[in-house]
Amino acid sequence: MTAQSLRGQLLRQLLPPIAALLALATVIAYYPTIEPATAAYDQALIDLGLALGDRIEIDHGKYALDLPHAAERMLRTDRYDSIYFHVAAPDGTHIAGDEGMPPPPPDETPADHVIAYNGVYAGKDVRVMAVMVPCNGRRCMVQVAETTYKRQRLLRYIVLSSLVPTVLIALATLMIVWFGVKRGLEPLDQLSEEIKARSPRDLRPVDAAVAPEEAKPLVGALNALLEEVAEANLNQQRFLANAAHQLRTPLAGLQAHTELALAQPVPEACRAELEQVHLASVRTARLANQLLALARAEPGGGLAAGLGPVELRQVVEGAADEWVHRAMAKDLDLGFDLSEARVRGDAFLLREALANLVHNSLEHTPAGGHVTVRTGVHGGDRRPLLEVEDEGPGIPPAERERVLERFYRVPGTTGTGSGLGLAIVREIATVHGARVEIGDPRAGGRGCRVSLIFPPAAEQ
Amino acid sequence: MRILIVDDDTVVAGGVARILESEGFAVDTVARGEQAILAAAQERFDLVILDIGLPGMDGFEVLRRLRTEAQRVPVLLLTARDAVDDRVHGLDLGADDYVAKPFAMSELAARVRALIRRSQAQAGPKVVHGPLMLDTVARRAFLTGEPLELAGREWAVLEVLLAKVERVVSKEAIIQAVANWGEELSLNAIEVYVSRLRAKLEPAGIRIRTVRGFGYMLQEYKEH
Repeated sequence: MTAQSLRGQLLRQLLPPIAALLALATVIAYYPTIEPATAAYDQALIDLGLALGDRIEIDHGKYALDLPHAAERMLRTDRYDSIYFHVAAPDGTHIAGDEGMPPPPPDETPADHVIAYNGVYAGKDVRVMAVMVPCNGRRCMVQVAETTYKRQRLLRYIVLSSLVPTVLIALATLMIVWFGVKRGLEPLDQLSEEIKARSPRDLRPVDAAVAPEEAKPLVGALNALLEEVAEANLNQQRFLANAAHQLRTPLAGLQAHTELALAQPVPEACRAELEQVHLASVRTARLANQLLALARAEPGGGLAAGLGPVELRQVVEGAADEWVHRAMAKDLDLGFDLSEARVRGDAFLLREALANLVHNSLEHTPAGGHVTVRTGVHGGDRRPLLEVEDEGPGIPPAERERVLERFYRVPGTTGTGSGLGLAIVREIATVHGARVEIGDPRAGGRGCRVSLIFPPAAEQ
Repeated sequence: MRILIVDDDTVVAGGVARILESEGFAVDTVARGEQAILAAAQERFDLVILDIGLPGMDGFEVLRRLRTEAQRVPVLLLTARDAVDDRVHGLDLGADDYVAKPFAMSELAARVRALIRRSQAQAGPKVVHGPLMLDTVARRAFLTGEPLELAGREWAVLEVLLAKVERVVSKEAIIQAVANWGEELSLNAIEVYVSRLRAKLEPAGIRIRTVRGFGYMLQEYKEH
């Protein structure tokens, strides 16, 4: 079954009964009205016939109609219709008037000396009254006919006057349905707006109070689903925490013991192998951390609690120690250019993004070079900014988009990277509605600058 | 110097123990929180290295009990967990430092030395850093046995740096700490005092590193 618009469906179902009711109302209004209305016209014709009957004169068995010319003109005068008459003797012979009138239906018996019938005269529909008038002890027949223009006009008028209000009522009904459905569905629209506006991380139940009674089961089902998803998220979160623990503990052991072994006097050939093992354990540890960070940054990765206010400057200051030592070990000048930059975010993820950026810069900058971590605001709309700048080989403009992809590494690069660092940075930026910009160092010259530019404070 | 390691992972615990032993520390290792409480109640340790993810009583609980028993022994937390809250929670409970697994042994050893030095400095009036010795009660300094003249503010800055060897101390933090000693300094003035300190200390091999745009770090003294 294809989905149909509720409104269309309602209208489609309502239209036929409304049309039928309309027709019925018209018919019901028509019959009681048309009878008395046309009866009045009939009566006028009968009166005319009676008046003509009065004018029949009998002289020695000869019948004549005493109708002065002026009187006949008056008689025939009607604003709308043509009036015809014919007077016949009891034996049916012509006395006066228009000849060739349609005769009354033969099986009709006169009611109150009148036979009313329809016929055609001179090519026109006519209504005829045949009036039997006393005539020398017998009965003469006076036929009076008139064309039906007046009657049809009356008919039209009656039909119209009963139709217009019913049509108006029908239209009003349809409109009420149209707008009523729209209004009735408004809470549903609000509901869908609310859900649309949500971040994929927001799994709080939907407020059932805003939903109309009929939509409550839907909201209930939705909330049940949200709860299940939140539960699944929580499970994933627990899994990640456990996975982190399970991975890191043996790696810590591996790292500790290779370091211990390297501290011993070992044969030169063995030392090179041990150094490789140690390097591999360090890289694996880093990779494990990165994968966990990536998993956490994804929707459902456990940010259900949502983002809170974070001062980027504090994030940098809190982590500076660790990097300073690494920079000094490599004879790099790691410096800071920190001013206030408040964002809505997750401190753990931001720290992870920063750690990846700094790691890359320390990795790629040759000894004696400078690496600078900067926080502050950027541009006229004062967007919070977090960036790391180095004096490494830089990233060619053509590669700047691709390096943000997972596991992508710039062709020709050597080194120990997994190609995940910048992908994590981008993932974390996305969580914060920030964009990643790769460019040249602000002061110019050789190197690379990676910036996270956050939405302006007003939009956060 | 006696160190208690509390970690159920024998591989990690064994590695840490051996590296610390090679640095001249006496090391005891236990695998469970309950044993740690017992050991700490019976013996006197100079440092406890405590893993958070212990079976049964977890590291936080061990830390809480150690602190309620009014033990001032320095505690270095180890964790393999991911939650950023762990760090905050641990420090709130009174841990002195925090290292995430996996870690480089050299880093762990440096943290251990710094923690022990700090607790010793709090315990007695004498602070020793290689050839430098500060007598905080008499307010007298000696360098390779010779008396060292330090102006009041130089003394204050040096004391802040000595309390955080191998740690970057921001200029703001120095101003803050010096202000607590009743001295007031501007950002620029700090540079002046640091350069005077360098002039006096560097000939003896004591190095104060500048961390550009941030602050200073007194490096660990190494014999040459």
